[in-house]
Amino acid sequence: MTETVAHLTVDGAPADLAGMPDDERLLDTLRWRLGRKGTKEGCRTGDCGACTVLVDGRSTLACLTLTREVDGSDVTTIDGAARDAELSRVTRAFAEAGALQCGYCTPGFVVALAGLLKERGRAAPLEELLDGLQGNLCRCTGYAAIVRGVALAREEAP
Amino acid sequence: MSAASRSDLGVKLAGRAEYGVDAELPGMLWAALVPSPVAHGRLRRVDLGPARALPGVVAVGADDLATLLPRGAGDAERPIFPAGEVAYRHQPLAAVAAPTLAEARRAAAVVRVEVEPGPALIDLETAFPDWPGPDGARSPHVIAHVHARHGDVEGAFRTAEHVVEETYRTSSVHQVALEPHACVATVRGDRWTVRTTTQSPFGVREDLSLLLGVPESSVVVEGTWVGGGFGGKGASLLEPYALLLARAAGRPVRLALDYREEFELGRTTLPAVIRVATAVRDRRIVGRRVRLLLDVGASLPGRDFATGYSIGFLLGPYVTPTFEVEGYGIRTNKPPFGPHRAPFAPQCAFVAESHIEEVARVVGVDPVRFRAEHLWREGATTPLGQPVGPFGLAAALERADALARRWRSEAPAGHGVGVGLGFWSTSTGAGGEARLVLSATELRVEQGERGIGSGSVLRGLVAVAERALGLPADRIRIEYLSTAEAPFDSGVYGSRTVGALGRAIVEASDAVRADLAGRMAVAVADVSLAVEGEEIVVHAPGVRRTVRSLLRPDEASRGIVATGRHFAKPNAIDERRVVTGSFYPYTDFTGAAHVAEVSVDRETGAVRVERYAAFQDVGVAVDPATARAQVEGGIAMGLGIALTEEALWSADGRLLNPHLLDYRIPTLGEVPVPEVTFVEGFLGAGPFGAKGLGEPPIIPVPAAVAAAVRDASGAHVTELPLSAERVARTLKLL
Repeated sequence: MTETVAHLTVDGAPADLAGMPDDERLLDTLRWRLGRKGTKEGCRTGDCGACTVLVDGRSTLACLTLTREVDGSDVTTIDGAARDAELSRVTRAFAEAGALQCGYCTPGFVVALAGLLKERGRAAPLEELLDGLQGNLCRCTGYAAIVRGVALAREEAP
Repeated sequence: MSAASRSDLGVKLAGRAEYGVDAELPGMLWAALVPSPVAHGRLRRVDLGPARALPGVVAVGADDLATLLPRGAGDAERPIFPAGEVAYRHQPLAAVAAPTLAEARRAAAVVRVEVEPGPALIDLETAFPDWPGPDGARSPHVIAHVHARHGDVEGAFRTAEHVVEETYRTSSVHQVALEPHACVATVRGDRWTVRTTTQSPFGVREDLSLLLGVPESSVVVEGTWVGGGFGGKGASLLEPYALLLARAAGRPVRLALDYREEFELGRTTLPAVIRVATAVRDRRIVGRRVRLLLDVGASLPGRDFATGYSIGFLLGPYVTPTFEVEGYGIRTNKPPFGPHRAPFAPQCAFVAESHIEEVARVVGVDPVRFRAEHLWREGATTPLGQPVGPFGLAAALERADALARRWRSEAPAGHGVGVGLGFWSTSTGAGGEARLVLSATELRVEQGERGIGSGSVLRGLVAVAERALGLPADRIRIEYLSTAEAPFDSGVYGSRTVGALGRAIVEASDAVRADLAGRMAVAVADVSLAVEGEEIVVHAPGVRRTVRSLLRPDEASRGIVATGRHFAKPNAIDERRVVTGSFYPYTDFTGAAHVAEVSVDRETGAVRVERYAAFQDVGVAVDPATARAQVEGGIAMGLGIALTEEALWSADGRLLNPHLLDYRIPTLGEVPVPEVTFVEGFLGAGPFGAKGLGEPPIIPVPAAVAAAVRDASGAHVTELPLSAERVARTLKLL
């Protein structure tokens, strides 16, 4: 196994990684090398969205991303929600709407929606935002409360 | 009270909730299981030598049990590692631990396993090509058999004007809790501790005591937050392996499944084949027959229960003067079956409802009217002779029918509208205890289980205590304790948390009141609690005391402790109707009537759910926002059973779709936001007349969707799920 190095910024803090297997996934780096376990491991095959993080502001599945691929990037996770305006906005809206039950898919939904709001803007139509969340699975809520949460996140004053 | 008052929202939204997969201890090893390569066979050899030769690897197999468990492992029917017969593919044959997960996986891969493959029984119908005859119960494949009858069923069928006979098939569905099973185990001396994601810490403790042959007092289970349960996290699964490795290694061990393993090893609902027949005379049902072949996989305790319990749901909530039912639990070479939110009841309701609709059409009566004329009402008798208590299903059906008629009048061409019914009973489980601690400033609920996300613990129990003691939610806190300290409770399953444990909370609340009244020398009925500034204050006519001033010196650091209990209900079944086996007695009667509007693609058979509504009998909605969330979530999960979810096995027992791409659960774009209406006033067995609500909302969904598909397209589909392919075949498009 070849070892590799990577220099990331994770939720505002520098992370200089050395001696890391070169096939290590960003999800495992975040959870087990950096101890940032807010990002959840679901399927590890890109089908559930639970591991969604922002890489340089774009929604990214951490389970399908090699850490060395994002060398030099700025990574934002649910653990950095308080530092990020869109993440904070979505978090408040989801709390208000009660848009979670077991909470396991929640970090993925919050980060994915924050990424959509950054990319498309807060004036993006609700349907467009909901379409953008089809890659995130939730087994508890039946999505109804999540739809209410997305609507609230859009409507909330900046 | 809005859902936003749930005290877990903050910690979960900040990513700070520790789930089973997050648990980590200093110095811990990572573990992997060694799976059986075949579905059935005789185990010749498991050679752990190559794994043990790798640096830092600890391995345990059947040969190590005598050393690790000096008192002997306890359950012959559930061996931790098989010694002779391998019963299903991926059955754990050994377990290994290493400093990293990659090293553990490599170690598991080098273990040499020799199994002499034997013929595997996978498809349960091949066990009985001609259905079980009179000697069916003697078949070696049958490991559970139930049989009940009442009245002159032969006479009813002989003299009937119409006899409608059908065969239905249902699929295997997985819970798909997004968090896979995971735990971290530590063994110190004779104390076996496991931190795990579970619906039932005390159930896991009991399991471990049995499986490891150690007393319950030596086992400590600490529950983490649970990333979804849905029945799949009730019994122990990984904990025995992690504990054995921890004991062998002398270090903590983490064992977690990846999602593929979650599908392969999880305990799921397995397929069934059901034959139903109904005899009708003068537009009344005069006789019913039901025969069930239920795949129970590699068998576990509970198979008798599963078989008998299913029969009641197959007969449906309908009055029948005569009947005969027979159920067979068939052992196959699949993983042991397990509970899935309202285990098997949605599939049974699909059969019962689709069949009664067919009967109504044959007889020439409106299907909703035909149902309404046969529906249980309070005072009626179930087929197994139990009197029906307060039951809101007829009221729910009336409202559902009115809505269905409106939707049908508005529906464009190609759309159809269907009504499906279901019923449930709040389980009491094995009973349990609630413990309340009243301090000067707050009420604590001391509790072993965290709940599974539904809010039944976090909101349900808090709402019960609010109502019972008159304290605001922000002064009531749930304190999670390990099984070493928490009061016993049998777990979060069977829709029992509010309905059964909630009763214990009420009893404990009454004990708090009585205690306070005694201290103040006033009548219990006169005592009321209030919050004034920081303090909790007790009022009675002419008296006002702070709780602080009522505490005895030895209570100052903790508070006033009070307990309440709840028990399982006695069996109310008329045993004269039971020929053999056991059947499920109901604690109370919870009904639900659902309305689905679907469109069916006339070229592909693809079904899309356009609108959905639920009328849910709740007794009393203790916390309406949380209750509504349960109904919304149950509908979505039911749509998966109805339309897409189906675990598929090859003839040699390989799971063909062990990932979320091919085992499809509903996505955000496939579930309409449903209209949810509570039907209140038909009181249940829970506190204040509440009925358990975790499971009832999933039950009518496949039935309602199937009725809507039939209305839209004419397709009477008798197999689940109603995939595009099945609908297309039924419509002869393929």
